[in-house]
Amino acid sequence: MSAAGTRTAGRQAGLHMLSGQIPLLALIVLIAVSALVSDRFLSLQNISNVLIQTSIMAVVVIGMTLVIVGGGFDLSVGSVVALSGCIAAYVVRDVDTTLGIVVGTLIGTAVGVVNGLIVTKLRVNPFIATLGTMVLVRGAVLLITDGRPVYDLPEGFTAIGGGNLFGVHYLIWILALLFVIFHWILHRTPYGVRVFASGGNREAAFLSGIDVDRVTISTFVWCGTLAGIAGVLLAARLESGNPTTGEFYELTAIAAVVLGGASLYGGEGKLYKSMVGVLIMVVLGNSLNIMGVPSYWQRVAIGVVIVAAAAADRFRRRG
Amino acid sequence: MTAPAGGPANGRTGALVRRANYNKKPVGALGGATASGAGEAVTGRESLLAAEQVFKHFAGTQALAGVSVDCLGGEVHALIGENGAGKSTLIKIMGGVHRADRGAIRVAGVPHVFAGPADALAAGIVTIPQEMRIVPALSVAENVLLGHVPMRRRAGILPDVDRVALRTRAAEILQDLNFHIDVDRPAGTLTYAERQLVMIARALSRRARVLILDEPTAALEAREVARLFDVIAQLKARGVAIVFISHRLDEVVELADRCTVLRDGQVVDRCLRGEFDTERLIRSMTGRDLEELRRAHDAEFGAPVVEVPSLHGAASSDVASAIRVRAREVVGLAGLLGSGTTQLLRRLFGADAPALRVTVNGAPAAPASPAEAIGLGIGLVPGERAHGLVMAMSVRDNIALTLLDRNKRAWRLDGAMIDGLVAELMETLDIRPRDPQKPVSTLSGGNQQKVIFAKWLAREVGVLLLDEPTHGIDIGAKTLIHRLMHDFAARGGAILFSSSETLEVVSISDSVLAMKKGEVVARMDRSGDYSEKRLREALGG
Repeated sequence: MSAAGTRTAGRQAGLHMLSGQIPLLALIVLIAVSALVSDRFLSLQNISNVLIQTSIMAVVVIGMTLVIVGGGFDLSVGSVVALSGCIAAYVVRDVDTTLGIVVGTLIGTAVGVVNGLIVTKLRVNPFIATLGTMVLVRGAVLLITDGRPVYDLPEGFTAIGGGNLFGVHYLIWILALLFVIFHWILHRTPYGVRVFASGGNREAAFLSGIDVDRVTISTFVWCGTLAGIAGVLLAARLESGNPTTGEFYELTAIAAVVLGGASLYGGEGKLYKSMVGVLIMVVLGNSLNIMGVPSYWQRVAIGVVIVAAAAADRFRRRG
Repeated sequence: MTAPAGGPANGRTGALVRRANYNKKPVGALGGATASGAGEAVTGRESLLAAEQVFKHFAGTQALAGVSVDCLGGEVHALIGENGAGKSTLIKIMGGVHRADRGAIRVAGVPHVFAGPADALAAGIVTIPQEMRIVPALSVAENVLLGHVPMRRRAGILPDVDRVALRTRAAEILQDLNFHIDVDRPAGTLTYAERQLVMIARALSRRARVLILDEPTAALEAREVARLFDVIAQLKARGVAIVFISHRLDEVVELADRCTVLRDGQVVDRCLRGEFDTERLIRSMTGRDLEELRRAHDAEFGAPVVEVPSLHGAASSDVASAIRVRAREVVGLAGLLGSGTTQLLRRLFGADAPALRVTVNGAPAAPASPAEAIGLGIGLVPGERAHGLVMAMSVRDNIALTLLDRNKRAWRLDGAMIDGLVAELMETLDIRPRDPQKPVSTLSGGNQQKVIFAKWLAREVGVLLLDEPTHGIDIGAKTLIHRLMHDFAARGGAILFSSSETLEVVSISDSVLAMKKGEVVARMDRSGDYSEKRLREALGG
């Protein structure tokens, strides 16, 4: 290859890398514009607020990224957030804080197992399967709580949603920890390669000796578990278990993953990019708020951003 | 590749001419026109479809380099050549799917430019592909008349399907073809051969003047082939021009009035009925005599690596269907589409149920999943390249797929082990570019094939199963795969592969098993009567 050829190839590779970072660039531009428009945006108070707001959704997004990279789809996470939060609240209030946290998380795990089994063993399309469990779980939490929030949670529990360590909010520590763990799992372990392979090409993964069904189930289990954790965290933050929380979490989470450049067909995605995706959603909402844009218009704006991001991604892939 | 200067202008005139000329000569149309069509065919065979000096370039390969063919009404024109010779490209250009870079297509002597398949159809050129495009939920009658279902108006206003006309018209067309079938049956219940006849009937209902048949007999039984040939003879008598693509040379000799042989995108031989026989065609197709192609018979085989006592899972050894592959041996499974070779390989690999009882290196086993088969040292190269690779993943990760359970620690990919092996294999197999992080989707087809091989070499499997490894690939890639297979055997590996091309099987195997309907019907090896002719007879082609 000639020197010129190498240079062109290098430039192409650079361009390719750059086009892969469009979400990050978009986030930076968004932050810059927001900072210019409003002094309040870059205040410590507001940054902290944005991160705290992001953290619980981001925990859900981690799980959603795993499922989507593995070729699946999970609509039930929002309902799981509500169910886990309420069950955790009951147990925390009536029995024990630690037990409540564990039970709340395991509720999510259980829903994940069910989702995974329906998708793999009954061969139901993940969209339909989790649409079913989404409605079912929401019904269950409304039945259990009779539609009423669960109050009177002990200080020891609600501190998770309010306290801080070295000046950084607990929720942010928890998110950071989960992010590091799952980034490692998805991008540094043999299991992670199996997830990418199963999502990228089921048949090829199967013919390479990968137990594709098991991998698929495991991604749903992770996703359910993380939604369970998010539910517990939200209950601590709201100082109550609320059966109507978590609505639209599934759609926000999926939008964040797509904004981060993961393929909805599976096999492509990066965890940190999904985090960028969720930050874009939250920062956009936050800066529109600060600018005083009415909330109905905020929805329209976010919708436009999602469609534009998806279209831009298709365009990039076509090259 | 840039279009020639006159291209766009030609395109415009072509379109105008087409519109003016369209539907003027319904040669081969049904009913009243049939007699005159047949008459015309007998008196003077006119050129219904001609390609003139057609060039076509695809990314990296010159698929066609100045090919001219002429299809006359009332004639069967066989188009033959090895995979990758350019047959498919040529018929796709004639059928309007691709556009030639250069050269002209003439329909009944008039230059045409097809913007798409619809234009070719409108000009009376119908291609019957290998995959039957029927709508399973619709009836036979609806499928025959698909796209121009007879309509009537209910109460003078509401448009509605005219069921009576639909059934009678479809029945007429099918009767003409001597194909007696209930027109109300859902087409989904038809056999492959029946679907094919429905497709031909549909072509006739559209007044096809040129019928292009792409390997029509590949999946047919002898009886069905005979029926198809009857139909072709009828169409010929009606003056339809028939383009016939087949790998079965004896069929070509039996059926064709004219034969054009393609090799590497060029016409290397043209001959008329009586001038050609199987030997001449093979020589033209390959550019060599059959003998030269053969695998050198000097390998000394080792101990049996894989043995399948019986294909039916019965405990008793079924000598007739027993399969045995020894170290350094290449065993070919010859069978037509649907003969069960693919299923056999997949069951052997644990990919399909029920599991096969096998003996691997002397120890009995019954792999129930690919993971178990891989554990026994068996690898599978699937028929479609897309099933062997995860396209979005890098070369390295694809190769690593078979090594994941070799990782010492579950929580960490053993990067050093994988990178070392990957670098070594990329060197040995000459995978280009030499960049393990490149997504395999960006590699050329040949290099992708090498990555699939690298997966199994990395795993050091003792047995490689290959399902139609050279189906639908160009000649260069084909040679490469043959070389990779022979190298694998030379290193002490055992190879079992399937192919529907008898010539290929005979050329590159040490021994051959012929399969039909899931059974091994014949076996031969180089110590005995070993020839393509014998294999063909065994397959009853």
